[in-house]
Amino acid sequence: MKKFDELNYYEILKIPMNSSYFQIKQAYKDALSLYDQDSVLTYSLFTREERDEILKKIKDAHSTLIDENKRAAYDRMLVDSGQVKAPISFSANQYRSSLRSSGRTMADDDRLHSRVKEKISVEGIQNLSKEIFSKELLSGNDLKKFREALGVEIPEIHSITKISISVLNAIEENRFDRLPPNIYLKNFLKSYAKILQLDPQKVVDGYFKTISLSHPADG
Amino acid sequence: MAKIYPIGGGKGGVGKSFITANLGALIAKWGKKVVIIDLDLGASNLHTLLGMQSPSIGLNSFLNKTIHDLESAAVSTSIPNLFLISSFHCYMEIANLFYAHKMKIIEAIKKLSFDYVFLDLGPGTNFNMLDFFLTSKEGILICTPEPTSIENSFRFIKTIYYRKLKHMIKKHIFNSLQKNFYEDAVKPGMKPSDIIEIALKHDPEKEPLLRSQLSKFRFKFIFNQFRNNLDATLGNQFETICNRHFYSIFEFLGYVNFDERIQDAIFSKTLYVHRYPHTQSSADLKNIAAKIT
Repeated sequence: MKKFDELNYYEILKIPMNSSYFQIKQAYKDALSLYDQDSVLTYSLFTREERDEILKKIKDAHSTLIDENKRAAYDRMLVDSGQVKAPISFSANQYRSSLRSSGRTMADDDRLHSRVKEKISVEGIQNLSKEIFSKELLSGNDLKKFREALGVEIPEIHSITKISISVLNAIEENRFDRLPPNIYLKNFLKSYAKILQLDPQKVVDGYFKTISLSHPADG
Repeated sequence: MAKIYPIGGGKGGVGKSFITANLGALIAKWGKKVVIIDLDLGASNLHTLLGMQSPSIGLNSFLNKTIHDLESAAVSTSIPNLFLISSFHCYMEIANLFYAHKMKIIEAIKKLSFDYVFLDLGPGTNFNMLDFFLTSKEGILICTPEPTSIENSFRFIKTIYYRKLKHMIKKHIFNSLQKNFYEDAVKPGMKPSDIIEIALKHDPEKEPLLRSQLSKFRFKFIFNQFRNNLDATLGNQFETICNRHFYSIFEFLGYVNFDERIQDAIFSKTLYVHRYPHTQSSADLKNIAAKIT
């Protein structure tokens, strides 16, 4: 059982990582009342300093998680430091992006989805897709060509996946030295592929083969 | 081997004996062989709750060697499969039990061949009570949803930790030419982790041992005399708080609703779950009994 000091912000508020804004607000209120100095449970348990420290941590948890950008950074930190096993799922990111201050909504994402779907059924695009995937290798140029053919912009991919624009550019320009560690890259490529409605595994395999050929020494 | 459940809690009158008797009766009715040992020494009255006269055989017979094993001190009750070891006829000063007697009882309890052994403990936090509670890793705390009772429960947990720490100091070599050090360092009003933290500070290399010993405890707790107008999340919150701020695992077993007829049952010397089997409180007791079997 984890002690209080070991809990992350989600655990402090007792909420899952994909909680909505409303859930966070409610959980924050509950946590404050549990550690309030008049709480029937905890009034005798802590010194004033200990209580202040606990309440401060609860407030930090709240102010971080209700702020879209701070929350994304915190989530990344949890993943990077290994405190959370799996990377935040694509759907959680997608959901969160719907809450962004830029005013993007789920509807925008859905619209992009149907736009891509429509385009992809066009014959020319289908041929392009076949041409790209007939090779074992898949380069950034292929991805870029395909994305442009679908009429999807880099910022659109960024706003849904939260992959930074510089990383997206590095992927498309084959600037392998600028790419993040493989474990992240893999997930980024999958997210990217999903938006273009490509087979994520094929994209990952093809792209990694291209990378490995560029540094034969690494195997 | 028998499953041993010591039933304690800092405060008197929170319903320890009432809950012990009724849980014991329910589990016995489900076909398990159950014995309740009345260890509220010097104030024993469990037989009355079970609707019996004070049995002439009991703990006294075991201590004065009239009988040689504790098992034979168990008398049957009006409920099949439910047995009682009473301490009613023990010597008048039994509340200050001799150390050798205490150890003899504890060793004998561990050897009993029943399915379930309930230890009905007295209030307060005296050494005997604590040592009986430490007979098992799975003690049950009874408290009522009042601030005083909750506060006492925390104090009880703290004292259990402290007692356990003392046992460990005896057994293992702590940095303690200053065994008394811990005694001096402990101030009233400290929370359990304070005591542990003092120990960790002075014997840092014992940290894994201490943590692993304390994490073996699985405290269970019941809120008795619960009223419907109270906050129904209290039990779960108590569980959260204990798991976060103490060193063991805590499990909330449930509420037992307040019912005026509990008083009736006690006055008429009949077992509540038998007299009023279909009330909310009886349903609560059944749920709890199911959780611990």
